Amino acid sequence: MSLIEIKDVSYSYNMENKAVDGVSFDIEAGSYTTVIGHNGSGKSTLAKLIAGLLELKEGEIIINGLKVNEENIYEIRKDLGIVFQNPDNQFIGSTVRDDIAFGLENRLVESDKMDSIIEEYAETVGLSSFLDYEPQNLSGGQKQRVAIAGTLAMKPSILIFDEATSMLDPKGKKEIKKLMAQLAEGDDITIISITHDIEEVLQSDMCVVLNKGRLFMYDKPEKVFSDPERLRKINLDIPFNLKVKEEFGKNKIKLKANDLEGMVEELCRSRSKH
Amino acid sequence: MPITFKALSYIYDKDMPYAHKALDNIDLDIREGIITAIIGETGSGKSTLVEHLNALLLPSEGSLEILDYTLTAGNKPKFLKPLRKDVGLVFQFSEYQLFEETVLKDVAFGPQNFGIDQQTATSMAKEALRMVNIDESLFSASPLELSGGQKRRVAIAGIIACDPQIIVLDEPTAGLDPRGAKEIIDLFVDLNRKLKKTIIIVSHDNEMVYNYCDDTVVLSKGQIRYHGPTIDLFNDEKILKEYDLLEPQIVTLRKLLKNKGFRISDDARTLDVIVKQVKEQLK
Repeated sequence: MSLIEIKDVSYSYNMENKAVDGVSFDIEAGSYTTVIGHNGSGKSTLAKLIAGLLELKEGEIIINGLKVNEENIYEIRKDLGIVFQNPDNQFIGSTVRDDIAFGLENRLVESDKMDSIIEEYAETVGLSSFLDYEPQNLSGGQKQRVAIAGTLAMKPSILIFDEATSMLDPKGKKEIKKLMAQLAEGDDITIISITHDIEEVLQSDMCVVLNKGRLFMYDKPEKVFSDPERLRKINLDIPFNLKVKEEFGKNKIKLKANDLEGMVEELCRSRSKH
Repeated sequence: MPITFKALSYIYDKDMPYAHKALDNIDLDIREGIITAIIGETGSGKSTLVEHLNALLLPSEGSLEILDYTLTAGNKPKFLKPLRKDVGLVFQFSEYQLFEETVLKDVAFGPQNFGIDQQTATSMAKEALRMVNIDESLFSASPLELSGGQKRRVAIAGIIACDPQIIVLDEPTAGLDPRGAKEIIDLFVDLNRKLKKTIIIVSHDNEMVYNYCDDTVVLSKGQIRYHGPTIDLFNDEKILKEYDLLEPQIVTLRKLLKNKGFRISDDARTLDVIVKQVKEQLK
């Protein structure tokens, strides 16, 4: 049994067209899944359905053996954390410490235990020395890390990132992606990341590609990127490294490596042959 | 005539205990007729800087000369309307500001607001919508029915319809899929190359900046760290390190190739050109 089973799920905001249309796939425990698609492809809707933030009307979603519905949603939510796009909309506390504490207080964690939990997760996200900082003194990436720490403190087994890097500057983006990869290393947390960042897909285990609400592909990143033209038809693109390889290919220079260093090495070898 | 900042500072909540100097003694000449990027980390003062360009913010100290207007600290300008017609500012996530019942009415609102009669405003709106590649079949649609990329382009059309000489875009490609982003990029390159508009773009996307912007301004903590040709900035590893900027991937590729003895010309900044230059050296 998979951790998350999505079975023939559809959803529409209006009568005319479906935002999500007959989507089925399973997510394995401990995996890191990226969900990509053009604007309006249904990515965020699907994430909201999994998190029970939208009411499921067609199809079913089963998480840890429990159907996502009104009756089970509180049980499921205990196990599920979400990090949203805008870091400024997620800051509740007046300091980093208060912010991480907020969820714990809601769960009635005893205050003498709270400090050690807060410190543990502040360390996980690399903000140990920032616990008494106020939100306005943090960068976007740091605020997003606080949101992640607050979510992790709830010990969820599933973590959903809904375009969590799209409003960050390049350094913030890099920081958060690194943290996501680090969280994905263990088997404890299953990560689902809705993203526009095609480079992020390379660090995930599996990639869901949505097009106009339908499941277009569900495969390992290297398979997803193996047919660039197919992706471009649905407004997507491939990562830079693969574009380099493709461009050399168009010029009848076949390269094997997938990383830039490797490709340049191959070019050197073919130069010395001549 | 350049856009000239002279010893300009901007202080949020001036005279309050938590006053914050967002711009600190800025001296800057932005050239007209080219595309200039403004980059820097979150909170470096980029948005504060561009919000001076059409007097949404007025300098706390110093002055700004733009077109025939001069904004000086302590003086309330009387020319706000003509200035805002001549300098169009497209905000971050501008699509949130669409409000009319139809796409056409939304775009026509701008020129009408500047006193142009409805009929003329409508025809200006139609032309602007054609320029941003919005199909005529969508003119009578509600803006809410459009995709994210389309909405963004309609919002930009609202600015173009007022025929400004200078167009300022704050994070125009953020949150768009690759094709949506490319459409916006093609649009502002066209506005510059064909209609000779001065374009100023605030962006976090160093790849886009490297490929399309003539000059770049680097801001950090409210001060100018670099202003000059974009290529000189990104091709110089030392400067990138000093200002803590992420290197565009195409620059990484150039560097790897050059380190291995391939000759890549300084102005080659697109993948197809670089690959062709390498191919020549393999023959």
